[in-house]
Amino acid sequence: MDDILLAGRDSDVCLRLPDPVDRGTLRRLVGEAQARLTGAGLRAGGAAALRLPPSLAYVAHLLATWRTGAQAVLLDHRLTDHEVDRALRRLTPQVVVAPVRSGGGALRVFVDVDAGVTAYSDRPAGSPHAVIQLSSGSTGPSKVIGRTAADLVAEVRRYTEIDGVARPGERIILLPSMVHVLGLVGGLLYGLHAGVELCPPERLSGDAVLAAIAAQDTPATVLGVPFHIGLLASTVPAGPLPQFARMTTGGELVPAAVARAFTDRYGVPLGNMYGMTEVGVIGTDLYGRNRPAIAPAPGIRVREQDGELWVSCPANPYVGLADPTRWADGWLHTRDAGVVDPETGLVTIRGRLDSQVSVGGLKVDLTEVEATVAGLPGVTAAVVVWDDGISAYVQTDGATTEETLDHLIAERLAGFKRPRTLHLLDQLPRTTTGKLVRSAPALRDAAT
Amino acid sequence: MSGQPDLGRADLVQMLAELTAKPTDQVPDRLGSMELAWLVHLVEQRFDRRLDLTDDQVAGVRTVDDALTVFRASLTAPADG
Repeated sequence: MDDILLAGRDSDVCLRLPDPVDRGTLRRLVGEAQARLTGAGLRAGGAAALRLPPSLAYVAHLLATWRTGAQAVLLDHRLTDHEVDRALRRLTPQVVVAPVRSGGGALRVFVDVDAGVTAYSDRPAGSPHAVIQLSSGSTGPSKVIGRTAADLVAEVRRYTEIDGVARPGERIILLPSMVHVLGLVGGLLYGLHAGVELCPPERLSGDAVLAAIAAQDTPATVLGVPFHIGLLASTVPAGPLPQFARMTTGGELVPAAVARAFTDRYGVPLGNMYGMTEVGVIGTDLYGRNRPAIAPAPGIRVREQDGELWVSCPANPYVGLADPTRWADGWLHTRDAGVVDPETGLVTIRGRLDSQVSVGGLKVDLTEVEATVAGLPGVTAAVVVWDDGISAYVQTDGATTEETLDHLIAERLAGFKRPRTLHLLDQLPRTTTGKLVRSAPALRDAAT
Repeated sequence: MSGQPDLGRADLVQMLAELTAKPTDQVPDRLGSMELAWLVHLVEQRFDRRLDLTDDQVAGVRTVDDALTVFRASLTAPADG
């Protein structure tokens, strides 16, 4: 880990928060975090659960966990206690790292955090992976996805071979969460490895992103999700920004009108990336020349099988799950509909084949939301659909109010997974055979 | 002197309609963190001043009406804090 991520001169700046953090300082912070982790019971072969917002504390404890020879379980800080407790019971880390103090105000991209480390169990990690991430699961509880150290290193190296990523000495204006694959590998790990400075804006606003770009003279790549394109497209820059090299987003397709508004305003390349938690970056179009298609990343093979995209993935990424419909024989079945052009090899994604949706770049499986809502006290049946947003149609026992349901849902689901519209009905529409109707227009009609 | 700022519910709904590309009458009333960040961004652009919201203020915003209350309070506070 030290060679791949922490090499370099002590004086080289690796993060700007906005005060510069050099490699010497980061190495010292990692050493201190390692002492806290091992002091609380973390051992090589064990696991540390990190329940931290994007912060210097997160970076230090993540690297310290790996330096200890342990597994890092990444828990999005937006998950509820209910979701976290369930994950911890399942994954039994030796220690849990969580904030004991957070500061800095609202809408921060990077948070000022003091982390506390508490002992949780004395068990070894449940798998040999270096990192465990949770993905919203189609069967209710989250899917557990593991990636080995070798797999992460291979992805970092893959980035170094992609034309159009930030180069050594340049900067990444980092907007996505470092708990998820794009911000973690495409931002943090690649930046540390390649000597690219990571510069989160002071907070999530168009002005703050432009200020972060303007803060140094070196070329800056803005890394984000499509929401951030809209944010910048609606911000008028105060002056020229010659440092602005490009913007690259992942997570979901970019509406053509949003892409056009952005390029009209800034005139820099708007790149697109396609990746999954299970394998990391799969393909890119960093100059926006093939929109909406992407070219497979170096070393990655993509094929189309009966309308579904399959991606080369040597080992099963799922922990405790042997489902040949998701992974088999070195191929990950993405559940993304798509086509591969036989002549150019370019891949076009046409949407999901299952109930997974993307909310601000975060994957949410509607089945998880539906199972949670349907399981609430006072709810007799529920249907959750995507209707340009997560919409829940709920049949109750008649005594349950919308406010009560809101409260119960907020206890159980992280904000990005919660329904944006909630309709309480005396009776959900059903087919003649008694099955719940899942068509959004029919549900809308029933609710009016 | 603290007159009400020229910001109404319809303004926020219009801003959300831009984000979601939906007609205003189909904009959901509930807000996630992304929608709230969008509203803060556009309100700041419109009034050309920064809304210094606290974590607690943001955490308490669930709906468009909640956001309007918080924005009005912030806009009527002295600009230099």
